[in-house]
Amino acid sequence: MDLQDEEIEVRVRTLAVDFVGVSKEYLVNGKPVKALASITLNVKEGEIAAIVGPSGAGKTTVLNLIAGLEKPSEGDVKVLGLDLAVSSEHALSAFRSANIGFIFQSYNLVSTLTAEENVELMMELAGWSDSGRNEKLTAELMNMVGLTDRAQHLPAQLSGGEQQRVAIARAMANDPPLILADEPTGNLDQKTGLEIVKLLSRLKGEKGKTLVVTTHDDRMVEMADVIYRLENGGLGSVDRPVRVRS
Amino acid sequence: MGVWEALIGPLGFAAKSLRRRGFHSYLAFLGLTLTVATTTFLLLIGQDLAARLGIDSSMRSTFGISWLILAYLVLALALISIVGLLSSSYLVSSMINQRMRDIGVIKAAGALPRRLLSYVTFEAFVVIFSSCLVGALSALLIYASWSWPSISLYKQVGPVPNTGATVLIVVPLISFLLCYVVASVRVRRIVGSSSVNAISRQLSNLDLKSLGKPLRIKRLGSAFNLATRSMSRDRGFNRTLLSVGLCVFLSMVVLSGALVSADTSASYVTRAMPPHILIVANSNIYNQYVTLGKLFSRTTPVPSVNYLNQSYIITPQNASAFRAIPGVETVDTRLITMTSITGYVKAHFASNQDTGENINTQIIPEVETGTTQALIVGIDASNAIGEWYTSDGFLQSNDAQYTMIAGDSVVGNIVQMPLNLSQVSAFNFRYDIKSALVDPLNAGRVLYAPVQTVQGNLGVNGYNVLLLKVNNDPAASSAVSQLASSHGLVVGSQDPILNSNLAFLNATWSYIFLVPILALALTCGILLSYLATNFSRRFNDYVVLKILGANVWYRLKLLIWESWGVLAISMLIAIPGAWAVSIFFLVPDPSVSVADLELSTLVSTLALTSVSLATATIYSRRLGLTTVKDLKP
Repeated sequence: MDLQDEEIEVRVRTLAVDFVGVSKEYLVNGKPVKALASITLNVKEGEIAAIVGPSGAGKTTVLNLIAGLEKPSEGDVKVLGLDLAVSSEHALSAFRSANIGFIFQSYNLVSTLTAEENVELMMELAGWSDSGRNEKLTAELMNMVGLTDRAQHLPAQLSGGEQQRVAIARAMANDPPLILADEPTGNLDQKTGLEIVKLLSRLKGEKGKTLVVTTHDDRMVEMADVIYRLENGGLGSVDRPVRVRS
Repeated sequence: MGVWEALIGPLGFAAKSLRRRGFHSYLAFLGLTLTVATTTFLLLIGQDLAARLGIDSSMRSTFGISWLILAYLVLALALISIVGLLSSSYLVSSMINQRMRDIGVIKAAGALPRRLLSYVTFEAFVVIFSSCLVGALSALLIYASWSWPSISLYKQVGPVPNTGATVLIVVPLISFLLCYVVASVRVRRIVGSSSVNAISRQLSNLDLKSLGKPLRIKRLGSAFNLATRSMSRDRGFNRTLLSVGLCVFLSMVVLSGALVSADTSASYVTRAMPPHILIVANSNIYNQYVTLGKLFSRTTPVPSVNYLNQSYIITPQNASAFRAIPGVETVDTRLITMTSITGYVKAHFASNQDTGENINTQIIPEVETGTTQALIVGIDASNAIGEWYTSDGFLQSNDAQYTMIAGDSVVGNIVQMPLNLSQVSAFNFRYDIKSALVDPLNAGRVLYAPVQTVQGNLGVNGYNVLLLKVNNDPAASSAVSQLASSHGLVVGSQDPILNSNLAFLNATWSYIFLVPILALALTCGILLSYLATNFSRRFNDYVVLKILGANVWYRLKLLIWESWGVLAISMLIAIPGAWAVSIFFLVPDPSVSVADLELSTLVSTLALTSVSLATATIYSRRLGLTTVKDLKP
């Protein structure tokens, strides 16, 4: 391995998500409830991290913290090198629109926008003002997810699988290095879920994206480079099956 | 908590459902309560004002002006009732629509439609009944604590027969019945539709026709373009636009109608008694004329005077001498006297068509309509100072000798409609009534006739009052005073009479302006409810945008465009429409002050805009607290 290769290796191995001793408490009816208890996890660039665990284990809280939607009660959260705990609300919004793509279990497309408008909206939020270029990119993304003929449909006119594919196109729209997916196959049948899993694996393979996925789907877990198992807000175990395989 | 949880049947369903829906239940209850309370309170205030002003103006004012004031009040209260009822039914409809998905889920789970119908209807009944009850009680409390005793009108008129109890029962009752009917129909429709439609309600709220190339204005930014797409595609927004537009329109009719009516009533008085006019008469007649002129605004008794006393008569030669003074532009020579008049409806033919082709004609004999004391003013039509508001014009030089114009306070009793069939007997002569006019002189109990005819009837060769229009040259006024003094006459300005009458009108309208101001407050409350309902309905979309990276400013701009956009479009249609109605349909021969209309538009625009901006800001701040967990499946 020459020096150039080493440099590439170092760059690839940069941490996309770095949690050190992160805790999160909520006040419920005036009483503190611990959602996360001193968690340390890290996801390297280009990896797929699966976060698994029963409902209420704290999976969505982890995604909220990565996206900067919530701040930790304790510990350090660094995402793509940015310390989110000390960033302003405005900076966090700018960070999200430029660096993070979201895929939700319930798709959460904007109900009044067509499929392609939902994708294009993400480009506008990222500040891309060249509408000609945005339209061209949108068409490419719609083609990538195989929905060119459904581009002019509203979310309510699309099936669950189609909506999730639009959500994936939307997550790719601002070309983010990091994609967060909250149980992306949770609402889909086996066959459609498999299509979504394949599509997400392409994001890593072809586009080099980092994925953090909360899931109960074994196919998603199999695809992961690292698996964090949460139990009652704490980190139960960490597996790196990809490393074992390699 | 245990008590609620233990309830079963419709009451248990309603209690649990309302508790679980928390914020949305509270919002529906609050919006409905506020609407019912404000509408009831406004109608309570309005009927009290109408009763007091009715009594007050029957002692003063004129029939025409009283009619204008009371007609405005009745119209305003009717429009406020419509706004209140419209808003209540819209809020109930929105409340039921928010339950559409839950109803679909419960039905899909196997609930019997009839039982589901009764349970959901009972839940709506609980909200509607409690809102109407609390609204009525709140209105009563505010009304009872209203500081009437500190208001001079209350002191002047004292206790009045109050119909408050009727308003207090009728308004909440009608609100309740209407809301309940709307809720029942809506629930029946949802329960009757398929569960799938009810569950996937999103599509039914969208207008698919407006898909296609959306409006895109680059300069106004992405938030504006997103807002226009949402507004054009969301049927809920269209319904809101219609409701808000109608409420703004009706409120603006109430507001601009008050201004136009106030300006018009003042113009009627000013046209009858123009400013900068000199009154020349013997001191006794002068004082009497001033008293008669101020009867519009005061209830002082009119002393008995022999108007035709020879020492009070100004000869035609003396009148001509005034006319000859340089700077005197017009001399209005009048012979006034108070006398008993009797009204008649002339004998005439009346035709009516029976069920077939036959037309039956019969003679209606003459009818006497009554006798009263009235001021007769003999006037030279060609030199009359005054541009009265009349129904069919003032006296003309080519009118028949025995023609009269009736003051508005004798119309409707002594003088009856149609005027061409009316006659008045004065000085034992019959006069035909040509027209009616609004005149504050003797509080409208006045009749104008050609001065030569009156002189002939009374055997008087001269006048007892001269009204002079003089230019601004002080020398002319001085010459008038000198000439009057040399003939034992006094000179005074008509302005104090006019000012007294206008002050009375201003005071009266200042009480009435409370109604449009409160109507505007009601519209602001309704707008707040509408926007809150819409924002709540679309909240999930806003949360998605926040999570995707829309910053605070983008979210605020989006909410402002969506709220203010609805308002701006509503106002753009409603305000010119309200102006048109107020100017062209509300009062005859209106007088419009552009400054007043601008002021009313500015005030209402500022108030409503503030509400829309405040709502957008509140929801923007609420959005700031949301996370992925707040997204609804």
